[in-house]
Amino acid sequence: MADTLSHVSLAGVALGLLIGTNPTLTNIIVVALVAVILEYLRKVYRTYSEISIAMLMSGGMAVALVLMGLNDTGATVSIQQFLFGSIVTISTDQVWMLLIVTLLIITLYLIFRKPMYILTFDEETAFTSGLPIWLMSILFNVLTGVTIALVMPIVGALLVAAILVLPAAVSIRLSKSFNGVILIGILVSLVGMFSGLTASYYLGTPPGASITLVFILLFGLTGLALKLTKQSKRNAFLRK
Amino acid sequence: MQYIEVNKLAFHYEDEPVLENISFQVNAGDFAMLTGENGAAKTTLLRNILGLLKPSKGSVTLSKKNRYGEKLVVGYIPQQVASFNEGFPSTVLELVQSGRYPRGKWFKKLDEEDHVHVKKSLTSVGMWDMRHKKIGELSGGQKQRISIARVFATDPDLFVLDEPTTGMDVQSREEFYKLLKHNSDVHQKGILMVTHDHEEIRQYANKHIELVRKEGSPWRCFSMDSCKEPSKHLSSSH
Repeated sequence: MADTLSHVSLAGVALGLLIGTNPTLTNIIVVALVAVILEYLRKVYRTYSEISIAMLMSGGMAVALVLMGLNDTGATVSIQQFLFGSIVTISTDQVWMLLIVTLLIITLYLIFRKPMYILTFDEETAFTSGLPIWLMSILFNVLTGVTIALVMPIVGALLVAAILVLPAAVSIRLSKSFNGVILIGILVSLVGMFSGLTASYYLGTPPGASITLVFILLFGLTGLALKLTKQSKRNAFLRK
Repeated sequence: MQYIEVNKLAFHYEDEPVLENISFQVNAGDFAMLTGENGAAKTTLLRNILGLLKPSKGSVTLSKKNRYGEKLVVGYIPQQVASFNEGFPSTVLELVQSGRYPRGKWFKKLDEEDHVHVKKSLTSVGMWDMRHKKIGELSGGQKQRISIARVFATDPDLFVLDEPTTGMDVQSREEFYKLLKHNSDVHQKGILMVTHDHEEIRQYANKHIELVRKEGSPWRCFSMDSCKEPSKHLSSSH
């Protein structure tokens, strides 16, 4: 889903550049809209969710390219920034928006932690427990979409998905509990972001790519560490 | 008090009729078993009752309130519950505690009573010692037991169970049925359970709904209340 939304998000940016408004704003609107469509398609084509994702993803990319083609006033520089991301394009407004979204997400998480737990565990169990699963899924998608739209100018469309998914992948390996995974995920995110950005500053590499590589490194390291502890436990057991 | 009312229900997948002309009720205090050969659309019927599918004809009414006039709480164990998402990051304790959320705890902290229920239900399936394990690491039988524990932790007014005892040994099944029977007799819970073990369960259930195929026609509800038990009437009279 993160991949789809980040591709669609490019179309949102292209649209913004074409009509000459703030691209982040058009982006948020487009991505939120698509997040709703995505949920609808997922419901209708339950067994072919791959198809609806592929359709929206390539569609988003195609619309972005067509819109860029229509707009030949030299906005290509800007779209480059959105594709690959650069920390220098971030404005004070965006920092504020990021802060607001962060606070919003934390608040929503604290309030809806329990319903979200059941919804992610099993939708049918959630439904029979009386939860409005459709509304909740849509809100969750929209929130993810808005987050992607805001993060995109910083890390670039191509790497948004990696940044959303990899910290969770690392933390799922490290924690047994739902809350533990979320907390460790946040921690891994912060560590990866800061070290990636630092590396990108000193080495002159693109920030998004550097952060992603740091996450992949962390993923590999946790895998290795877990394997080693398992092995040493087994050895200790055998020695007894 | 009526918890489930199915009235002349028919269900079609696309054009193909799957269920037809099905009517029965499940009341508070009923232990109803739902049987039928493989492919008799028992799960489809349950999903219609729960609102996960919409009947093509007829109606299903699920009571809004329980017998105390509070919101009816349903506890559902889907078929093959043990095959739940392997990678879902949760401990056994978290999962069973989540059974308490529908009891007015979506936005409130769990209290002493909730913790007592959770401990009791985990102990009753012999999984209390495993409470800090990750659910993905459990065996199929253990996953089944914690799913059952989760539903007992909810302490629902209406149990809807889809072959919950598959793979259990005879003794565990017996204990499970006794526990359900206690819930229906003493606590006046409604129970609707899809099962294959007709004979074993006959002495516990007071209603029998059997889906039977007529030659060349869809499944239809053939018999109801066919194995009413005298003991049931005794227990409901006092």
